[in-house]
Amino acid sequence: MKIKMNRAVMAGIVLLLLENGVVPWLVPVEWSGRLVPHLTFVLTVLVASFAGRHRAFLFGLGFGLIGDILYYGNLIGPYAFGMGLVGYAAGLMLERGIPTLASVLGATAAGSLALSTIVYMIYRLFRLTNWSYGYAFYWYMAPSLLLEILIALALYLPARRLLFKQPGSSGEESPL
Amino acid sequence: MMRNKRLFILMIGLILFIAVMGFTLGRNRLTWPEKFINDALGTVQGALYRPVGAVAGFFGDLGRLSDVYNENKQLRQTVARYAQDQLKYNFIEAENERLKTELEFKEKQKQLYRYRFLIAQVIGNATNPLDRTIKIDLGARDGIQPRMAVTTTDGLVGLVSRVSEFTSTVEPITQINPESPKGVQIASTVFGKESESFGIIDSFDQQTGMLQMTKIDENDKMAPGDKVITSGLGNVFPRGLMIGTLMNRQVGDFGLTQKANVKPAADFDHLREVFVVVVPEVAGQ
Repeated sequence: MKIKMNRAVMAGIVLLLLENGVVPWLVPVEWSGRLVPHLTFVLTVLVASFAGRHRAFLFGLGFGLIGDILYYGNLIGPYAFGMGLVGYAAGLMLERGIPTLASVLGATAAGSLALSTIVYMIYRLFRLTNWSYGYAFYWYMAPSLLLEILIALALYLPARRLLFKQPGSSGEESPL
Repeated sequence: MMRNKRLFILMIGLILFIAVMGFTLGRNRLTWPEKFINDALGTVQGALYRPVGAVAGFFGDLGRLSDVYNENKQLRQTVARYAQDQLKYNFIEAENERLKTELEFKEKQKQLYRYRFLIAQVIGNATNPLDRTIKIDLGARDGIQPRMAVTTTDGLVGLVSRVSEFTSTVEPITQINPESPKGVQIASTVFGKESESFGIIDSFDQQTGMLQMTKIDENDKMAPGDKVITSGLGNVFPRGLMIGTLMNRQVGDFGLTQKANVKPAADFDHLREVFVVVVPEVAGQ
């Protein structure tokens, strides 16, 4: 499938704004800091499944970097690195064969875990956090992962319809 | 050959990223591309974050309608009292102003501890749980500088960490960590015993939600329930800002000094409006 690049980039920017501006309000107070879905990451996985690893790599790298710069706390780069790498890896896995809903959700789950682990490792490496991995997993990785799967589920159909051109078909009746 | 090339690119990429991360670690200045991204996206984000906050606040308020009724009753009584006091206050203020000028207060003394509070709207939250910064809609153009303190009406929130033209990034005090290369520590004391109490707040425990105060002298008079405020020593945080309540106090790690848990007064979630504290510049500093 071919990607509609302008629309996809616009969608990425909108998701980035939603991610930091709207989502924090929707998360109840008791869960803030624990439920932190990365919408641009979900988009990266969708791009990986429909448009291949190279595009996904660029999307992950670009939106990760913008996110890093916008909320520059201690260092720039963890999300750019993690999302670029995960996007590429997801593309490598999903490229072969037709992407199905199950494989996209599976890639979101595995990728989310990989991304948060990479970011955690980097923070650990630079001694910026003293949380143990188990605690970090329980505190925010697992809840965010589940939420990201749900978001991927919600975004799957609209993204496929709006952001990608179906190869040689006029309608949208390709199998899920 | 192809495999080797890919591996090579991956290695170069890895090295590059580690270099970028190391380079951006503990740096205060922003280069112009960073400022550009901050300002461009930050401004748009503000247009999104605030209305959503207002809507969320509205629904929160609906739930508290019965409280509002009682509160309204109390407020009406207060207003009645206020109207009386206003008359008295106007009179006293005029008199005070006159006396001050008559006494020829030096400009420096007049300014001392009279902080200016700039009202800032929060325009976004970081989604990195390990590095939870917030973004505000004031920047260098409004006179914000790095390391200014940020508070809410309840208490201290954090420090301005990075400033671009129209927006800045605030690092909350829940982020302080004694091992961090920045090494921000809060010199603090206790309200009402400012001259005889001292401790350093240098870490935050996520699991209990408490700030840790260390280096308290054994003979210090602070006790659980006391209000902890900044002491102004160390020149990072201005003096007299509310931090929280002292919860308990115990013997420190080495037995020489004591440590304590402080419950922060500010609520760090769903922030909408914060104040940046501007300390008036004192001549000769």
